[in-house]
Amino acid sequence: MISAFFIFNQKGEVLISRLYRTDFKRSIADVFRIQVVSNSDVRSPIITLGSTSFFHVRINNLYVVAVTKTNANAALVFEFCYRFIIICKSYFGKIDEESIKNNFVLIYELIDEINDFGYPQNSEIDTLKSYITTESVVSTVNAAEESSKITSQATGATSWRRGDVKYKKNEAFVDVIEVVNLSMSAKGNVLRADVDGHIQMRAYLSGTPECKFGLNDKLVIDNNEKGTTDAVELDDCRFHQCVRLNDFDATRTISFIPPDGEFELMRYRSTSNVKLPLKIMPTVTEIGTTQVQYVITAKTNFNNKLSATNVVLRIPTPLNTTTVDCKVANGKAKYVPGENVVVWKIPRIQGGQEVTLTATASLTSMTHRQVWARPPIDVDFQVLMFTASGLIVRFLKVFEKGNYQSVKWVRYLTKANGTYQIRF
Amino acid sequence: MATSMRGLTQFIADIRGARVRELEEKRINKEMANIRKKFKDGNLDGYQKKKYVAKIIFTYILGYKVDVGHMEAVNLISSSKYSEKQIGYLAVTLLMHENSDFLRLVVNSIRKDLDSNSEIDNCLALHAIANVGGSEMAEALVEDVHRLLISPTSQSFVKKKSALTLLRLYRKHPEVIPAAEWALRIISIMDDQDLGVVVCVTSLVMALAQDHLDAYAVCYTKAVDRLHRLVIEHEYAATYAYYKVPSPWLQVKLLRLLQYYPPSEDPTLRSVLHQVLQTIMNNCAEPTRNVQHNNAQHAILFEAIGLAIHLDTNSPLVGTAAVLLARFISSKETNVRYLGLDTMAHLAARTDSLEPIKRHQHTIILSLRDKDISVRRRALDLLYSMCDVDNSELIVGELLRYLRVADYALREEMVLKIAILTEKYANSYKWYVDTILQLISAAGDHVGDEVWYRVVQIVINTEDLQEYAAKVVFEHLKAPSTHESLVKVGGYILGEYGHLIANESGYSPMEQFHLLHSKSQFCVASTRSLLLSTYIKWVNVFPEIKPQLLNIFERYRHVLDAELQQRACEFYALASRPDDDEMLQNVCEEMPPFPPRVSALLGRLNRKHGDTEDKRTWVHGGKEANLDREAVKRKTLAVDTDNNGFAEGQDSSEILGSLAGLEISSSPSQYSGIPILDSIGAPLVDKAPRPVMGPNIDRWFDKLTYSAEGVLYEDVQIQVGVKSRYQGHIGQLAIYLGNKVSAPLTSFTTTIHVSDPEALSVTFAKIPPSTIAPRTQTQQLLHIECKKLFTTTPILTISFLAGAHQTVSIRLPIVITKFFEHVKLGATDFFERWKLIGGPPREAQNVFPIDLTSTSQLDLTKHRQVVSGHRFNVLDDIDPNPNNLVAAGVLHTSVEGKVGCLLRLEPNREAKLCRLTLRSTSEDVASEVLKLLQKLLIATPT
Repeated sequence: MISAFFIFNQKGEVLISRLYRTDFKRSIADVFRIQVVSNSDVRSPIITLGSTSFFHVRINNLYVVAVTKTNANAALVFEFCYRFIIICKSYFGKIDEESIKNNFVLIYELIDEINDFGYPQNSEIDTLKSYITTESVVSTVNAAEESSKITSQATGATSWRRGDVKYKKNEAFVDVIEVVNLSMSAKGNVLRADVDGHIQMRAYLSGTPECKFGLNDKLVIDNNEKGTTDAVELDDCRFHQCVRLNDFDATRTISFIPPDGEFELMRYRSTSNVKLPLKIMPTVTEIGTTQVQYVITAKTNFNNKLSATNVVLRIPTPLNTTTVDCKVANGKAKYVPGENVVVWKIPRIQGGQEVTLTATASLTSMTHRQVWARPPIDVDFQVLMFTASGLIVRFLKVFEKGNYQSVKWVRYLTKANGTYQIRF
Repeated sequence: MATSMRGLTQFIADIRGARVRELEEKRINKEMANIRKKFKDGNLDGYQKKKYVAKIIFTYILGYKVDVGHMEAVNLISSSKYSEKQIGYLAVTLLMHENSDFLRLVVNSIRKDLDSNSEIDNCLALHAIANVGGSEMAEALVEDVHRLLISPTSQSFVKKKSALTLLRLYRKHPEVIPAAEWALRIISIMDDQDLGVVVCVTSLVMALAQDHLDAYAVCYTKAVDRLHRLVIEHEYAATYAYYKVPSPWLQVKLLRLLQYYPPSEDPTLRSVLHQVLQTIMNNCAEPTRNVQHNNAQHAILFEAIGLAIHLDTNSPLVGTAAVLLARFISSKETNVRYLGLDTMAHLAARTDSLEPIKRHQHTIILSLRDKDISVRRRALDLLYSMCDVDNSELIVGELLRYLRVADYALREEMVLKIAILTEKYANSYKWYVDTILQLISAAGDHVGDEVWYRVVQIVINTEDLQEYAAKVVFEHLKAPSTHESLVKVGGYILGEYGHLIANESGYSPMEQFHLLHSKSQFCVASTRSLLLSTYIKWVNVFPEIKPQLLNIFERYRHVLDAELQQRACEFYALASRPDDDEMLQNVCEEMPPFPPRVSALLGRLNRKHGDTEDKRTWVHGGKEANLDREAVKRKTLAVDTDNNGFAEGQDSSEILGSLAGLEISSSPSQYSGIPILDSIGAPLVDKAPRPVMGPNIDRWFDKLTYSAEGVLYEDVQIQVGVKSRYQGHIGQLAIYLGNKVSAPLTSFTTTIHVSDPEALSVTFAKIPPSTIAPRTQTQQLLHIECKKLFTTTPILTISFLAGAHQTVSIRLPIVITKFFEHVKLGATDFFERWKLIGGPPREAQNVFPIDLTSTSQLDLTKHRQVVSGHRFNVLDDIDPNPNNLVAAGVLHTSVEGKVGCLLRLEPNREAKLCRLTLRSTSEDVASEVLKLLQKLLIATPT
C-alpha cells in the first residue's frame, strides 16, 4: 500500500511529506524530484524505478505523489490522490502552493486521518468536517458527548450520515452537469464525441431518508416500459458510496441514504447519440505565403428557447503571424499573440442562431519555410437546461419514517472547456 | 550597451520572473509576434534592430525555435557601430547552422571586417569564423585569416585569435589550409615578442607539424631556442609567470612539439636541449609551495620526461626521470599517479633496458587495484609495455587474476593484451596453451574471435603441442558451464587431434563425443556447424562412434538453418559411403600448418583514432612495436607528401588494415613492400630548397670555391659574407650576416640543407640569434666535417621578417677540394704515381676552350690561382713547358680516409684550348675535381 505521500511544488521542493511506513526514508523525495520533476520527458503518471513506484497527479503546478514498494492497486492510489485534492478544495477553496503552505497543519491532520499505515480510510468530507475543523474548538462539557457521537457515526452502518439531522424545510437539489468532448476532422467527420457527466446532489433532508432515483437509462427503460425512444445509453457509471450497488447490479435502481449536504451522487459517460450543441463551419485559405483568410461560422443546434452563453472560440493562426484583421457581427474578436490564436468571445447565442467571423492574418517571411500544422479550433461554451447525452431525471423519491413532504429541484447544464475541437 | 536596452532587460526580467513554463511561453510568443510585426513593418533604426535581434538570441538560447531575424542579423554585421555589429555576429554564430545559406551573405561582411583597421572588428570576425567554421566559409576566408596572422601591423591579440582561428579551421577542414606553403611564414611568428602570440602559434604549428613534419622542420630550432630562453635565461614578461613558472602552457606545448620530430642530429641543439631538460628536472626537486605551482611544474616535468625518453633512452636524464617516475607512481594524488604510470609506459615502450621499471613492478601491480579506473587502465598499459620474457609469467598471471574482478569496460582490452603477451613471451608452449585456455574460460564474452583463431593456428603449427593441447582442452571442457569460444577451440582441436589422446583412459572417443555434444545445445548456429565438422573428422578417425555421429547428421538434416542443414547433408552423404572408399580419408586429412602470419591481435589493439588532435608520439607495447610503427609512419609520410598518389596509397593501406582484422594479415615487411606504395615512394623528389640564381651570385660563389673569404650574397636588405678555414677533413666557416636596412630583421632563421648528410656534416656552433639589429652584422659559425666524397654543395636558407617575410637560399661554397691538403712531390715521384694510377677510369680528362687575357696571352696567373686555390700544391719544374701546370693534393675524409689526386693543365694559346687531366685513386674524385676546375677555367661564352 501507500508507503509515503508527498506534495511537491513546481520546482521540486517538498511541501508536504508523510511517511506511512518505514520502508522509505525521506530522501526518496529526492529521487522523485530528479527523476520526474526535473525530467521534462516524463509524461506517465506512474514511474517505477526498481521496486519503487511513484504515482503522481499534477494540479495547479503541484505534484501530489504517492509512493509504494508493493504492487498496489493503481486505481485505488489515484483515487486516493484525487480524493485528497477534493478534500483540500472543500476545506480551503482552492489547491495551490500558497494554500498548501497556509494550511499545512490541517493537511497533515487530514492525511493522517484519511490514511492509516498506508491504507486509505474514511474520506467523506462531511464526516471529516465533523471532527477536523478549521475553527478553534472550545472545550465544553459536551465535548465527550460530541466525540462519542463522532465515534458511533464513523463506525456505524452509515458512516457518511449522522442520525439526528433536522430541517424545517426538506429540500433536495439535483444538478446534472455534462462536459461534452468533440474532435471533428477537417472534412466534418466526427472523430470522437462523448460526454462526461456527473450528478451533483445537495440534500437537506431530515432523519435518515431512503431515496430512489430514476433516469432515462436505456437498460431500465427497455426492461420496464416499452415504446419510449428517448432513452440514454450510459457507458459506465460510478456511484457515491451511499448508493446500494447490489440493488443497482440486480435491478439498476439507484437507491441510497444520502449524506447530509452536497455530494456527487454519480458519474457517467455516454458515447452514443451525442447531441452537439454548437456546429462550427470553418473556411481557412492560405493565400500565397503572406496571408491567411478565415471565414468561421458557428451555429447553435438546440431549441430556440435555450441559449449558449460564454462562448469562446480560439482560432489558431500561423506561427509567423504579424497582425490579424477581424470582422464580427456578434461579440468581440482579438488576436492574442501570446498564444498564437484569435480569441472570439460571444456572450450569448440564442438557439438556432448563426454567427460569422471573417478575418485576415498577414504573415512575415521565415528563414526555414515550414508548413503550418493547422491546430484545431477550440470552443468553450455553456448551455443551461440541455444535456448533450439526452439524459433526464425521471424521478427522485424520498421515503422517511417521518413521512414529510420534500421539495426536489433538477437543473441541467452542458458545457465544453478545452476539449471541443474542430480541425480545418 | 546592454544596459541601455531597456526593452531587452525587461523581457529577460519577465521571463526570469515567469513562475511556470506556460507563462514563459506566452511571454515569448507575445514578444516574437511583436518582433515579427516590427520587422515586417520595416523602417527600424540600428538600435531597434539590435534590441530585437538580441531578444531573438535570448529566446533562442532558452531553447525555443526561432524563424525570424536572420536577415536583420546579417544587416547588423555591416553596421558601423560596435554594439550593433557585436549583436549581429552573436546572432550569426548562434542562430545559423554551418551550412546555412545565410552564411553566404555574411562572408563579404566578414571579409570587410577582417580587412578593417579596427582590431575589434577583426576579432569579432575571427570569432565568427572560428565559431561557425563551415567549409564554404573556411575556403573563402582562410587566406584573409592567414594574412591577418602574418601582417606586421596586426595587434598581438588579433594575431592570437587568428592563429587559433586557423587552428580551428585546420582541425575541421584540413584541406583548405595550404600548410606546407605557409610553413615558414607561420613558424616565423614563433619568434614574436608576445608570449601569448607564441602560445597560440605554437598550438597551430603543433597541429600542422603533425601532418607536415618536413615542411615545419624549422620549428625545431625555434622551439629549442624558445625553451632555452624561457627556462635558462628566464627571458619572459612577468605577466607570463604562473606561480613563478614561466608560461607553463607554452613550455608544455614546445616540449610536445619537439616530440613529433626525430631527435636532432645537431650537437648544439642537443646540448641546449639537454641543458633545458636538466634544468626542468632540477626545478622539480625544489620543495613545492602550493597546488597550482605543483601542477604547473608537474605538467612541464612530465612533458620533459616524455621528450627526454624520445630523444635518447640511454641518457642520464632518463635515469633521473625513472627515479622521479618511481616516486610519482606511489604518490598520494591520483593525477600524479596517472601521469606517472602513463609516462612510465612511454619509457617502457622506448627503453632498451626494462630494469629500472621492473624494480617497481610490485607497485605497478598494486596500481591495478587503484580506486580510480583511469589509473587502473594506465597500470594495465604499463604492465603490457614492460612485459618481457623474464617477467611474462608473473605479469600474465597477475593480469589473469585481476581479469576476474576487472571492470567490464576494461576486460576486452585486457584479454587482447594478455593474449598478445602470452604469445609473444611464451617460454613454453604448454604455458601458452594453459594460459590462453584459462583466459578464454575466465573472460568468456570479452574474448574476441581473433584470440581463439590464434590458439588454433599455433597449435596446428606446433606438432609437440598437439597432444597436450587436446588434453588440456578436454579438461577445460569438463567444467559445468563453458564459454562458447572454448567450445569452438575444443571442437577444432579435438576434431584434429582427439585421436592422439583417444587411447588413454578417460579420453575415449565416446567420452570426447559426449562431452562436446553436451555443450552443443547451448551454442549458436556457427558453433554448431563447427562441431559438425568435428564430427565428420571423427567419423574418419573413430569408426567406433560412427553410428552416433551418423545419427546426429541425420537429425541436423532437418534443421531450418541453411548452413547447418547443408553441412549435415553433405557430411551424411560423405559418412555413408562404403568403408573402402578413400574419399573420406582424403577429405579429412590433417590440417596442413598455416603459413606464418603476424597476429591479428595487434591490429585490433591499435585501432586508428581521430585525425588532427594532438597525437601520442608512441604506442603501448615494447620497443619493437614502436620501431615498427615509426617505420610504417615514415612510409605513409612519404606517401602523404606526394600529392598525386595520396588517395590511392591511403586506400591500399586501408584495405590491408582491414584485412589484418580479418585474420588474413600480412607481415609488416609485406605490408611495406606493396608495389603501389613503392611506386609512389620512388618519385619522391629531393626537397632541397631551390637556391637563388643570378650572374653575381654565381660569380661570388665561383670565386669562393677557390678562395677562403669573400661576399657570398648581397641584396638591398642583407649582405652575407663568408670566411673559412680548413684543416684536413674538418673545417670552420663563419657566415657574416649584415643588416643593411634601418629596421631590425626579426624572426631571423638560418637553416642548412645538406643533401647527403652521410658524406658531409654541417652544423651551427650555437643557436643563431633571431634578431639582427639595424645596420649591424652578426656572425654565425659553422662546423664542417667531410666524411666521404660529396658532389652537391650544401644550401643555406635564410628567412627573416622585414615587413614581409623573405626567404633566400644560397649555395655555400663548400666543395670537395676544400678538404685537400698539399703534398710535395719530386718529378720522379710524380711521374711514377701518374703512371701507377694509369688511364681511365681513374683518369678524368677533358679539352675545353679558354679565354685569353686582353693581350691575347695565356692567363697563367689565373690558372695558378685557381689550381692552388683549390688547395693543390703546384709543382714547378716538373713539366718543361712553363705554361703547363702540374699539381698534387690529398683529399682528407673522416670515413673513407685519404685520396690522392694528381693534376695536369695544358693550355694552348693558338687553339684557345686547354687540356685538363686528373688522375686519382678514386675515379669519382677525379671526375668531380675536373668538373670543379673546368667550370672556373672554361671560356665565358660570348
